[in-house]
Amino acid sequence: MTAQPQIELTNIDKHYGSFHALRDINLTIENGQFVALVGPSGCGKSTLLRSLAGLESISGGTMKIAGDVMNGVPPRKRDVAMVFQSYALYPHMSVLDNLTYSLRLKRRPKSEAEAAANEVAATTGLQKLLRRLPRELSGGQRQRVAMGRAIIRHPKAFLFDEPLSNLDAALRVHMRKEIRALHDRLRATSVYVTHDQIEAMTMADHVVVMREGVIEQQGAPLELYDRPANMFVAGFIGSPAMNFVDGTVDGSGTGARLALPDEPSIQIGKRLEPGRKITVGLRPEFLQLASGDEAALHLSVTTVESTGSTTYISSLGEPEIVVVVNGRTDVAAGDKIGLAIAPENVHAFDPETGKAI
Amino acid sequence: MNRVISSFRDGKGFDIALVGAALLFLGIFAGLPLVYNVVMSFQAVDMFSLGTFARPFVGFDNYIAVFSEPIFWPVMRNTVVFVVASIGGQFVIGFGLALFFTLKFPGSTYLRGLFLVSWVMPGLVVGAIWNWILAGDFGVLNFALTGLGIIEDNIFWRSDTAFSLWAVIIANIWLGTSFNMILLSVGLASIPRDLYEAAALDGANGWQRFWTITLPMMRATIGAVISLGLIFTLQQFDLFAAITSGGPANSSNVAQYWAWDFSFRQYDFAKGATISVLMIALVMVASVIYVRSTRHEVRG
Ligand SMILES: Nc1ncnc2c1ncn2[C@@H]1O[C@H](COP(=O)(O)OP(=O)(O)OP(=O)(O)O)[C@@H](O)[C@H]1O
Ligand SMILES: [Mg+2]
Repeated sequence: MTAQPQIELTNIDKHYGSFHALRDINLTIENGQFVALVGPSGCGKSTLLRSLAGLESISGGTMKIAGDVMNGVPPRKRDVAMVFQSYALYPHMSVLDNLTYSLRLKRRPKSEAEAAANEVAATTGLQKLLRRLPRELSGGQRQRVAMGRAIIRHPKAFLFDEPLSNLDAALRVHMRKEIRALHDRLRATSVYVTHDQIEAMTMADHVVVMREGVIEQQGAPLELYDRPANMFVAGFIGSPAMNFVDGTVDGSGTGARLALPDEPSIQIGKRLEPGRKITVGLRPEFLQLASGDEAALHLSVTTVESTGSTTYISSLGEPEIVVVVNGRTDVAAGDKIGLAIAPENVHAFDPETGKAI
Repeated sequence: MNRVISSFRDGKGFDIALVGAALLFLGIFAGLPLVYNVVMSFQAVDMFSLGTFARPFVGFDNYIAVFSEPIFWPVMRNTVVFVVASIGGQFVIGFGLALFFTLKFPGSTYLRGLFLVSWVMPGLVVGAIWNWILAGDFGVLNFALTGLGIIEDNIFWRSDTAFSLWAVIIANIWLGTSFNMILLSVGLASIPRDLYEAAALDGANGWQRFWTITLPMMRATIGAVISLGLIFTLQQFDLFAAITSGGPANSSNVAQYWAWDFSFRQYDFAKGATISVLMIALVMVASVIYVRSTRHEVRG
């Protein structure tokens, strides 16, 4: 029983008229997994989530929830709960009535519904607010009511569509942890849509990166970080974004000449055919300040920005190179710096296809 | 002097001037006639004293006279039936159409616009057209009803005392439905779609969504539509004049038509004014209900 995946999508296609919003989506989500869908705006994350909920019909493919084919099944029979970006709380109902709405529809006894609501209110910190109307709550409190309304149902899956994007930065970080902690306790299968890769990386067990209706790559968060399948994923995952520099594999096959001033040479940690054009990917956090022989490349600094704990050094040029240094540094704008990077941290991509080599 | 000008420019004086203009307008064209009407209902008025304001006061004599008219209770009953049936019909059909037009099918907005035609037509014209439709011998309505097997023999809608009031009610429902539909459509459009989606995911079927989301969210709109409907049906006069003239034998006579009949056909202005005052009281009750229903508005 537990062996079967909770959500199984095979060859899902979705058209809006002539617009192809989802292309051949294949995704398997195990019971109890927390999956994040990330991607830039308009890539089809919400469309996929809403299709799962039954709020959009799919044009092709098979959608299974808990082993049952869900194609064409109306939302109310799918037994999934969704937390909307707008929260979609019922404005004319108190928090208590919002929470118990689904139970009242099922004609559960009032005492049972209220007991369940009290329990959910305790886990979400809403005990004192049960009599209020949604408009009398703060953004964070509304968010909790939306969560509570989902939790009370014990659904087969939770669907979240950017639930934190209306909150301020500090509250967002806090709610992120709270949602993850809640998930660790309830172990309910969750699909979480966000355009914020940090949210995805920190919350999810499994991250799905989408672009223009296509799944570009999926896997454990650090796997995507360590082994991006292509330049899009490499650039999307990680902050600040990976630096990309054109280069040519040198005579030895294990190094590359970079298209930067002075044409520096770096080791790429793999053997490729000499003379091949590649795009080299260097994560800002793996570039280290170095001097003398250790420095593989030299750049002149255009800006230095420090948050106190981290310093961002950038060299505006074609291409721009960003370096992240822990703590502070005495490097100043205008300085010439030497940089080194371990060969195993160098990524190589095919410039034509963008695929990792 | 400067202070006055600047206060006028900077808002407060300007606000007062705007409100004042509106109040003056209302006072002259609505307030004074209203007061005059109320005063007249306590006076003895005849053709000779019509031109003066100094007429003998007779206390509640006019009211007693109106109440003891033999057709007072039949007319009141007709008025209630007319108002309730008209508003009920307009509201139910209007709401049904409004819900129907929320299904966005091709051409739905144009079709909905066409419904407004009934609203821009003068009541007398509507009445004339319904006269043909309702005609006992050649009317389309009888033709349809007999064709469908609902009735055996033709109904003489306008001359049968059992149907004359309903003839006007049918025409009035047709006249007012589009107004109801437009107002209710606006109310429906302002309910966020994601509420329905959330309710659907919470397990509500269409009927449950209607009862738990649509109706409570529409409370203010429904209150407005029904109280405006009450005012419009109480002032509906043209259709009576065009279709039945209150007859036969007062079977379709209602308060507003009766008041007109007293004042302008029998020249008994005091009784006409008295009936108007009774109707004003009714409209005031409706206004209070309307104001209360909008005060409790819950949105967002
Ligand atoms: N009803 C619709 N009709 C036509 N096109 C639509 C419709 N809904 C969405 N789309 C298109 O489908 C694509 C995916 O939309 P979707 O809402 O899934 O994006 P998203 O990844 O959630 O973006 P965001 O991060 O901005 O919310 C977009 O290009 C959008 O324009
Ligand atoms: Mg979206």
